[in-house]
Amino acid sequence: MIEKGRISPVQLAIFMHPTVLATASLSVPAITMKTAGHDMWAAPIVSSLIGFMVVLVMFKLHERYPNETFIQYSESILGKYLGRAIGLSYIFSFLFTNGIVIREYGEFIAATFLLETPMVFVVVGLMIVCAYALHQGIEVWARAAQLLVPIALVIIVFMLVIMVPDMHVKEMFPIMEYGPLPLLRASIVPSSWFSQYFIIAIFLPYLSKKGRTALNWTMISVVASLTTMTLINFAVLFIFGDINKSYNYPFLIAVRYVSLSDFIEHIESLLMTAWLVAIFIKITVVYYAAALGTAQILRLTDYRILIGPIGLLMVLLSLWCAPNLEELTELLGRSVPFFSSIFQIWIPLLMLGVAMARGARTA
Amino acid sequence: MKATADSQPISSAMEDNYKTLCDIYSKCNDIIFRELKIGGKTESFLVFIDGMVNVEVLDLHIVRCLQHLTEPLTNENCMEVLGGELSISNLLSVESIEDAVSHIGMGCITLFVNGITLCFSMGLAKWEKRGIEEPAAESVVRGPREGFTETMSVNRAMLRRKIKTPALKMVPYRLGRQTHTEVNLTYIEGIASEALVNEADDRISGIDIDGILESGYVEGLIEDSPFSPFPQMQVTERPDVVSAALLEGRVAILVDGTPFVLIAPATLFTMMQSPEDYYQRFYIGTLIRWLRYLFFITTLILPSLYVAILTFHQEMVPTSLLLSIAKSREDIPFPALVEALLMEVSFEALREAGVRLPKQVGAAVSIVGALVIGQAATSAGLVSAPMVMVVAITGIASFMMPQYSAGIAIRMLRFPIMFLSGVLGLLGLMLGIIFIVVHLCSLRSFGVPYLQPIAPMKGNEMKDVLARSPIWMQRRRPKLTGRPNNVNRQAPGMKPEPPKGNESS
Repeated sequence: MIEKGRISPVQLAIFMHPTVLATASLSVPAITMKTAGHDMWAAPIVSSLIGFMVVLVMFKLHERYPNETFIQYSESILGKYLGRAIGLSYIFSFLFTNGIVIREYGEFIAATFLLETPMVFVVVGLMIVCAYALHQGIEVWARAAQLLVPIALVIIVFMLVIMVPDMHVKEMFPIMEYGPLPLLRASIVPSSWFSQYFIIAIFLPYLSKKGRTALNWTMISVVASLTTMTLINFAVLFIFGDINKSYNYPFLIAVRYVSLSDFIEHIESLLMTAWLVAIFIKITVVYYAAALGTAQILRLTDYRILIGPIGLLMVLLSLWCAPNLEELTELLGRSVPFFSSIFQIWIPLLMLGVAMARGARTA
Repeated sequence: MKATADSQPISSAMEDNYKTLCDIYSKCNDIIFRELKIGGKTESFLVFIDGMVNVEVLDLHIVRCLQHLTEPLTNENCMEVLGGELSISNLLSVESIEDAVSHIGMGCITLFVNGITLCFSMGLAKWEKRGIEEPAAESVVRGPREGFTETMSVNRAMLRRKIKTPALKMVPYRLGRQTHTEVNLTYIEGIASEALVNEADDRISGIDIDGILESGYVEGLIEDSPFSPFPQMQVTERPDVVSAALLEGRVAILVDGTPFVLIAPATLFTMMQSPEDYYQRFYIGTLIRWLRYLFFITTLILPSLYVAILTFHQEMVPTSLLLSIAKSREDIPFPALVEALLMEVSFEALREAGVRLPKQVGAAVSIVGALVIGQAATSAGLVSAPMVMVVAITGIASFMMPQYSAGIAIRMLRFPIMFLSGVLGLLGLMLGIIFIVVHLCSLRSFGVPYLQPIAPMKGNEMKDVLARSPIWMQRRRPKLTGRPNNVNRQAPGMKPEPPKGNESS
């Protein structure tokens, strides 16, 4: 096996939380608001069903191939050529996903904090840290996540708490004003975030404890993501009501708006630090998946030589994926859900179906 | 001229031995050869190093005894006869010149007798040594006040006085081709896991170097990540700290010639624990521990945070405070980053000077230093008053680390972070912190992750890191490398309680 490190189910649960939420907490409230109006708070709840389903599908596949990653067993399920083609397309999907994520990060920093710094500089800075983490191996960055994520969560919860005085519950009424349809349509977008739980397929073989414990912790992770996302949605809905949709990053604006006894105010930079932890982990997770997957397709003995080239490709893709922020948001709201549902829901489902039909398992 | 002797046997002709030793010790002014006739007839001579042996005992009990010895010495009966006549507990027979030379080097008196193919080594080493003092860098209010000295035998005795069980093992090594320094690997058998002891043994045995002058040499040759700024072994000169570590199942490495003992494996959290945490009541132990964590982070990020906020995120500062900072920075010609670097570098310089300077000029430097970093710098318009405060707090904070070497690591790391935050603001600061966290997570000390028990999480051990739990709650030893033999360190139900009974009587 290329990776000799082992992670615990708790570590998996911990680093999956920011992997899903890092970008979701920024853009999802605004995007869902546009479709669902003030019912948007329920969108994560509906779309989390996708998350639970994806986790179950990935565990079913994992049961059949307990020591292989998705990239590896796709070959045994679909045959040599088709399987490799699928594997390769997943590598591209990881590259593309991370390109978009890096771009979102760059745009966010460039638009809100470092207005005059070239975006490439900001992006490359983070990528160097991610590359270093990747070079140290999965155990190391999983441990780093274990240390950093709780701190970041404490900061987010603290912010939610000081927002409470500015919240107005009446903003959420009337519930389902136009029936359930807008809500269901709005759930499609966050579901593409929940379907990112697909990526556990890369990490399941490296768990130190398998079976029931692993499944339980992953489910807890989905519930935690769902809770955090709903809380953030509630916060921005209760504070801003219908004007949400005119902001790109409503939660950031909300944080900028709150103030605690005139002393703690304008703490959006603090949000940025917490968010940076999340985005660091998200990029590292997908970066790792891409590097490890490529190494497995190419039958390499170590993925570390791929860190440089893949990192460079990701930085370039982040610059190519969209010309500006408007198009990026458009991309996130329209084509990415479609794209990710194919890669993260339908193909895995299909593979599970084929595997069950053929009764395929590891020998 | 050879520096070391061959493994040549001792000749029965005394002249040959005399000549060989004279060749080996040619131009060594400190070696004394003393010829004498045993019982007035048998030729013999003593060899020892001036200043390393107990001359009084030698004169009174050895030379005199030998001169009055009546029984003739032969190869067979010599040990019995000498053992019977000489009132010395540490008497050994040595068979080769090489061994004799190494005994002489250790401060033994060696006796060569004509016609006997053995030489006798008498352990009467004695040299001028420092007394036991309170360790200057690790003083406590409550707790033992003794510290290790430069002498191995004294240090060993101090440990043995605390841990009297025969399970306390001290494995000797001779390291250094030229210095032949004695190094002891100390552990408690049955508590320290075998894997850990074997690993330490492997690493120490592998050392092949000219000289070991301080335990830092050993540390530098056996640590896990030599390029890390963080120390991966705990260094202490307190016997109680070493004893506590041994009782937790760690190993200690004593090096002759230095009071500093190495403890492995160490984690970042053991570096931040002071022995006094355990001697005081646990509430204050816990609070002080958290204060240390807080100021550990402060040392690392406070100057950078100040630079980042003043350069990029002024909106975070409350308006009134921002106004007063802006007022004090009005006359300052430098950007915040340059100002911070200026002050931090001069603070580091003052500190280094303070350590090195002769005591006589100490007062002068402190006065000048206080002026440079402080009033004069502010009124000269070089630095702003808030910056002086930031540097002062950082300076105090960096002294709070009980482990000096761990303090050095964060002192160094705050400079690159300062640059990062001067360039990218809080983003740069955060990138630097993430980088350091990832680096800390990648470190291991003898196989134990450096951030254990926080990352990876070890629920049971966290109560000694997030708090200083009461003694009766610390039932289990921390889990280190390998499988520990016994994990319980106290009987259950050690919580003290008043006896239940009729309280009215």
